[in-house]
Amino acid sequence: MKVLLIEDDQETSAYVARGLREQGHVVDLAATGRDGLFLATDGGHDVLIVDRMLPGLDGISLVQTLRQTGVKAPVLFLTALGGVGDRVRGLEAGGDDYLVKPFAFAELLARINALARRPPLTDRPTMLRAGDLEMDLLKRTVLRGGKPVELQLREFQLLEFLMRNADRVVTRTMLLESIWDFHFDPKTNIVETHISRLRSKLSQRGGAELIYTIRGAGYVLRIPAPAEP
Amino acid sequence: MNGIVLPRLLRVASFRFAALYVAVFAGSALMLGVTVFLAAGSALQQQMTARIEAEAAFLREEFQADGLAHLIDVVRERGQGASALDYLVEDQAGVHLAGEMPAKADLKPGWATIDVPQASEDGNRPERVRALVSDLGGGVRFAVGSDLRQIGDLKKAIATAFASTVGLAGVLGIIGGALLSRAFLRRVDTIARTAEAIIGGDLGRRVPMRGTGDDLDRLAGTLNRMLDRIAVLMDSLRQVSTDVAHDLRTPLSRLYQRLEDARAHARSMADYEASVDSALGEAQGLLETFSALLRIAQVEGASPRAGFIDVNLTAVTETVSDAYRLDAEEADHQLIATIAEGVVVSGDQELLTQALSNLVENALRHTPPGTRIGIRLEGSPKGGALLLVEDDGPAVTEADMPRLTDRFYRGERSRTTPGNGLGLSLVSAVADLHGAKLSLMAMKPGLRVSLTFPLAKRRPPHT
Repeated sequence: MKVLLIEDDQETSAYVARGLREQGHVVDLAATGRDGLFLATDGGHDVLIVDRMLPGLDGISLVQTLRQTGVKAPVLFLTALGGVGDRVRGLEAGGDDYLVKPFAFAELLARINALARRPPLTDRPTMLRAGDLEMDLLKRTVLRGGKPVELQLREFQLLEFLMRNADRVVTRTMLLESIWDFHFDPKTNIVETHISRLRSKLSQRGGAELIYTIRGAGYVLRIPAPAEP
Repeated sequence: MNGIVLPRLLRVASFRFAALYVAVFAGSALMLGVTVFLAAGSALQQQMTARIEAEAAFLREEFQADGLAHLIDVVRERGQGASALDYLVEDQAGVHLAGEMPAKADLKPGWATIDVPQASEDGNRPERVRALVSDLGGGVRFAVGSDLRQIGDLKKAIATAFASTVGLAGVLGIIGGALLSRAFLRRVDTIARTAEAIIGGDLGRRVPMRGTGDDLDRLAGTLNRMLDRIAVLMDSLRQVSTDVAHDLRTPLSRLYQRLEDARAHARSMADYEASVDSALGEAQGLLETFSALLRIAQVEGASPRAGFIDVNLTAVTETVSDAYRLDAEEADHQLIATIAEGVVVSGDQELLTQALSNLVENALRHTPPGTRIGIRLEGSPKGGALLLVEDDGPAVTEADMPRLTDRFYRGERSRTTPGNGLGLSLVSAVADLHGAKLSLMAMKPGLRVSLTFPLAKRRPPHT
């Protein structure tokens, strides 16, 4: 994946770039808003990571300009400003996600992975499948190996999010934001308890473990390799 | 003293107002005076003319009826009487026949001014008389006139009366203005001195109030309240800096120790990893504390109602109680939510969610297994709302109660549980932003925390 990182703080920039390259991504760097704009309009990036506060041209104006010139690559804002208003301005300017500094690298990685392969809203499927797991989004039903699994609303939403991002790590923060609309870090185990409840409900019907915990990063729903005939 | 006071006095607003008022008053009095003066003069003139004309007509009739000798008799008789008019009867050659006025040969019929010598009265000043001269025919002329000084005297009296009234009013106005300004200046000086003292560092000073409830007293009261508020803010700022310095030193020194320990004693890869992991944990905790502090500062610094929308408090409460239900069950707590339908308040949904979450988390974390935790939302028909989180856990000690919302404050019992002592501080800041009243009540057993939201469509009170 080709990533453009527009960040003026050298240390953050080097840290993020090294991490992304270790994951096998190609990283372009820009230290000012103008350089960033120039590189971004060149095109060909799968994801842009943009700092909100940049010398020359701030992140918001940069993304607005990009969207006006027709650059459609998803944008993740990095920001030290975590207030609601700041996030809303970022998203209104054409950003797709935001991450408040300081952040863990695993969080950044999970988010850009989710962004880069986010399907357009229009052709979302009504059926999701992962191995022997089937989810009908219209009927709101889940089948494991053809047998129904009773799920509470939040458990259903949790499973839907994991299935949509199958084989990709989703972080605790991503789940809190999209399932509960919690934009802060609760000090209790909301996510952990819901995940464990979901796991036990899924395993009641037998079959392989689907949801894995990635220590220090989050969770992943792995689609099991099809059994050998 | 006067040399210092007077020039300042001229710069005092109330003195200027007084001076302006006096000037306007004097100007209008002067205009009134001039009008009265002119009107009175012309009325007197007309009256005199009418009298003279009547008298002249009467004398002419007397002459035509009874002849010159009778006329002379009448004139002499009138001259001796109390009549205010002056007379003259003379022949063609200007020989005086009767009356007080001197004879003059060149008198023409009509109005004339004649000087009458008055040796006996006003020194040597002649009396000016305005007279109507008539030719009776047959070589006889007569004149009837009136002393012009009578009108002059009256006009002078009117002018004098007005001038002295205006003068007196002016002087009194200026003195009154000066006194008023001195009093005003003294009180303004008191306020200024207090302000100077506060600038100089004596932050406890307040503007003295006289208890009269007048405008300056009200101003002093408002200033004092403002100073009180500033004092509270400065205190809390000072407290926060001290708290931050104090409470962050502990985790920072732990972090330092872990790293130092690793450097000195770690022998294997596993040792290093363990040390790094625990150092990362400390750093994570520090970052969380900082972001919580930053969040509180943002909430406290936000302007009330900026970006407020109608928040469905029912939905928020449902989301939060639903989110923590599993957690509570795992921890062997009972979570009982009683949520009224359709409660809406004006506010910030995200902050309200977080505030309620903090309250529920507190109840979960600081109570033993088996505790019942109640979440209750009640709406009032007028648009207010009551949001309440209570537990029947162990009682909070009296000493802890008033300090629960202080930043970093942690009760003796909860020092060992995870947390940074900022949860209730944030709730308190969110409550303030929404104009809601946060109250904490020790229930024996347990703690009840309630948020009372003001009626909708009303500005939250600015404190």
